Amino acid sequence: MEINKENNHKSVEDISAKTQYIIENQNPFRNFKLENYKYAQLHKKIIPKNSVRDFKYFRDIKDLSLDLSTKSLKSVNLRSTLDNWSFYSNDSYFRVESLIERSGSLIPLDEFEQSIFSLDISKMTENITITKKKEKHQTIILLNTNVEDEVPKSILIDLSDNSNLDIIHYNISNHKSFLYFESKQGNHSKLNFITFQSNNAHTRNEYFASLGSHCHFELSGLNFDNVGVNDNYSFIQHLKPSSSSREVFKSIVDKGAITNFQGKIYVDSIAQKTDGYQMSRSLLLDDISKANNKPELEIYADDVKCSHGSTVSQINKDQIYYFNSRGINKNEAQKILQKAFLSETLENISSVELKDFSLKLLDNLIN
Amino acid sequence: MLEIKNLCVSIEDKQILKGMNLKINDGEVHALMGPNGSGKSTLSYVLSGKEGYEIVSGSIHYNGRDLLNLDVDERANEGIFLAFQYPMEIPGVQTSFFLKTAINAKRKYQGLDEIDALEFAKLIKSKAGDLDISPEMLKRDLNVNYSGGEKKKQEILQMSLLDPSMAILDETDSGLDIDALRIVSEGVNKLRTPNNAFLVITHYQRLLNYIKPDFVHIIADGKIVKSGDFSLALELEEKGYDEISKSA
Ligand SMILES: Nc1ncnc2c1ncn2[C@@H]1O[C@H](COP(=O)(O)OP(=O)(O)OP(=O)(O)O)[C@@H](O)[C@H]1O
Ligand SMILES: [Mg+2]
Repeated sequence: MEINKENNHKSVEDISAKTQYIIENQNPFRNFKLENYKYAQLHKKIIPKNSVRDFKYFRDIKDLSLDLSTKSLKSVNLRSTLDNWSFYSNDSYFRVESLIERSGSLIPLDEFEQSIFSLDISKMTENITITKKKEKHQTIILLNTNVEDEVPKSILIDLSDNSNLDIIHYNISNHKSFLYFESKQGNHSKLNFITFQSNNAHTRNEYFASLGSHCHFELSGLNFDNVGVNDNYSFIQHLKPSSSSREVFKSIVDKGAITNFQGKIYVDSIAQKTDGYQMSRSLLLDDISKANNKPELEIYADDVKCSHGSTVSQINKDQIYYFNSRGINKNEAQKILQKAFLSETLENISSVELKDFSLKLLDNLIN
Repeated sequence: MLEIKNLCVSIEDKQILKGMNLKINDGEVHALMGPNGSGKSTLSYVLSGKEGYEIVSGSIHYNGRDLLNLDVDERANEGIFLAFQYPMEIPGVQTSFFLKTAINAKRKYQGLDEIDALEFAKLIKSKAGDLDISPEMLKRDLNVNYSGGEKKKQEILQMSLLDPSMAILDETDSGLDIDALRIVSEGVNKLRTPNNAFLVITHYQRLLNYIKPDFVHIIADGKIVKSGDFSLALELEEKGYDEISKSA
């Protein structure tokens, strides 16, 4: 796979001169070789454990499916969109010609009445750009639950000032799945992204978020019970003053699986009063599995509050003992503790029904 | 109920219990007192079956069965309960969920169906009410940010819900205020029947004023050095461990 080098050095109005200077004077590939562990091993053929496509809860969700046939969707060119946007990360695996040149559809959310709807992206071959201008809160469910499908997906989100959106991404039972997700938020907008990843063979998901002033961006991810390599890469950039971001990733690995998390919070020199938080935690259930967590902060403003934390640990034996001492066996105790560990990432789903659904799904997949 | 014979236990090659003997019959309350580091908690952990303790020699029989052959959860389901000196915090697990899971584990072990939601709600309301534990408390994560005293009460709530036959209370009184001490003691007394037994580990005679023990044992350096009735606790308060151990 080839990385599009041009995009790494894009000049963008939003970025201040100081930042621009730093970008241009850095070697874009400084860590690439050293960190190639974190890219999903595409050549390996691994099959996920089982299929959950017929899982009954998904049938309910599919009923919420957005009827796109009634609208004549406008086609957009991804390259021209991206050129106007502002990322310059070296770590994207997806800014490849093949993805960018593909045709794309534009989904204007304001034209749909529903407040919750789902989009089955499993069979999608075109790029999708989602726009939202109105304040009204909506939730999109992205279903990515197709074992056979290996087409990389790209989803661009363009939120105008004051708009408010939840995205819940179910990334379950895939051989190989790739998602490129990029969002641009206008002032005072809110975007809440939750990604639920389980039972996949290889996955790589990239999230690029660009925040205007007084914005809030939230990214929560959980992944467990995957085989192969699971990558999550995020790049959150605060470009204007007074925006906040909160990112929490939790992963559980076992049976030799690998989970990688790399997340950067970038604060431009004019983005004073930024409030950024990032936490990545991994649980290893055995000693042949691996978790690589790499938090990164790149801050050019002086009046900001940014914190990050990262842990890799095993299930606490004393906690298991406590459960056992109350008659609860080891197997059940472990499941409860795994759910307890992961469920924090589902806490802030706005829709009560979807939160319940997600907790049930977690319950079901862990048991 | 419980018979400990010549029990020697070591942790990481360091011998902690050095020939413990203790026999507890149905319906009895035994108090175990002794200086810091004498092996009281170690004994309680060994009884509950915690990993990491090497049984060098000796035996523990529980209702005629070899206790040492049972796993921790089996012992619990067979009626052994340990109220911990330092209860564990379990983030992410709601207290009431934990209580229900524990009740159902025992019911499953006994071949019973899971407790129904209404019955559980009623049961927990009355038991928590007895101990002055608020419903809000039960919605919080188990023991997380509970005060020292609240954690101890939570242990007693679990005990009353699981209704054990052999309960071991490891310094449950430490950290309790005067009112809580009375409430907890009443809770324990309420559970007493001719068919169960208690081993109460404490440093203070005050608890024993509420929970009247049939026997008081003094442990020093891994073995029981003196046994007697309630008056031994009074004598201990007066003279201290040093003198009592010497006179033994
Ligand atoms: N895991 C361990 N590794 C090494 N030594 C230990 C371990 N656990 C306990 N010990 C030691 O064993 C001895 C007995 O400890 P124990 O906790 O049983 O004392 P205790 O009688 O309960 O004391 P206290 O009244 O302070 O609670 C102490 O010297 C203690 O340091
Ligand atoms: Mg102790």
